[in-house]
Amino acid sequence: MSYLVKESCMGDTDEEKIWVLQSRNGDPSAFESLVRQHQRMVHSLTFRMTGSLADAEDLAQETFVRAYRQLDSYQGKAKFSTWLYRIAVNACLNWRQRESRREQIHAHWAESNDALRPEPETPAGEDAPAREVQAALMKLPAKQRAAIVLTVYDGHNHAEAAKILGCSETTVSWRIFAARRKLKRLLSGKGGRNE
Amino acid sequence: MNDHDLEKKLKAVPVPARAEDYWESFPRLVSARLRTSPAGRPVLEHRWLPRLAWGGGIAFACLMIGFAVGHWRGRTEKNDAYALLQNGKMLQEVLTLFPNRVRAITQDEHGVQLVLADQADVPVSTPIYVHICNGKQCSSLVTFSGQELEIAGQKVTVLLNAEGGVIVAGPRFAWSSDQPARVSGGLKIEARRLSSINL
Repeated sequence: MSYLVKESCMGDTDEEKIWVLQSRNGDPSAFESLVRQHQRMVHSLTFRMTGSLADAEDLAQETFVRAYRQLDSYQGKAKFSTWLYRIAVNACLNWRQRESRREQIHAHWAESNDALRPEPETPAGEDAPAREVQAALMKLPAKQRAAIVLTVYDGHNHAEAAKILGCSETTVSWRIFAARRKLKRLLSGKGGRNE
Repeated sequence: MNDHDLEKKLKAVPVPARAEDYWESFPRLVSARLRTSPAGRPVLEHRWLPRLAWGGGIAFACLMIGFAVGHWRGRTEKNDAYALLQNGKMLQEVLTLFPNRVRAITQDEHGVQLVLADQADVPVSTPIYVHICNGKQCSSLVTFSGQELEIAGQKVTVLLNAEGGVIVAGPRFAWSSDQPARVSGGLKIEARRLSSINL
């Protein structure tokens, strides 16, 4: 099992609660400890959501900056990792909206110049299947992609994913169903190009 | 392909590995970003203090905006908007009261309005003045690059390009300060950077 699940399980340790309290009191080293604890989980999520290492890093930083600023709204009812996931997912969804607007404007100005549109980065070197999977993920609507990332890659069940995404369990199940249907079509080479 | 095959295929793709140095330095990068960011100060310990500060801030902003509107009443609408929205001192004070939350200050026939973001995530950048007329309906505003707003009945995105020019884009048009004559649908647009205002 990956580090993601290990980190999620460590979400409620006493040590972590102390770091949260110390961070609230403005202790930068305590907050750095929290970042160190969850950085891989957040990077993994932001990479799966963006398909770009540079954007993933930027969004991971943005997630922790937002978390620090909102620390007093964390009441300890949910795991810290769940709370952090929610911030990271929202940052990714906002990023997606900003990117869509930027792409629309680029498309308007560049018209037929496809060279201006950036391609997603290869997930693992020159590995073609990896590239194909990441490209298929990027073709999903952002909310469906988030549901797949949380459940398939990060091992959350539908109820936990619903908490993180701020929607009902039924909505999550529907998004996963729709995403799977589309991914199967894309990855089995049936009609991927025009999706 | 069944669900099991799909899951297997998805899970076979790892996230690209990063060097250990990267993980060592990342927490420090976050700390540095918090230090350099204007809203990156520690959270206040007393819960009533932020509320008091917000209440006071909003009251002060309303007073200031009311005063500004009253002060400029009597002039022509466009000149009013232009002078008020380009008042650097007022803009700076509003930005100080709501750090990283001001999306725009707009003025139309209904008066002056402050458009705030839910989260403190509006980056500090050079303010941009935009005046749009859609027939007889006119609006002026000061905003920042990347903001999407509804003005004069149009949903528009305001952007700065690399050369410092302003782009105003809507669902059916795109206007650039480099080619100001190119506007469609009876719209009149005027936009420029307020580079004289130091934030």
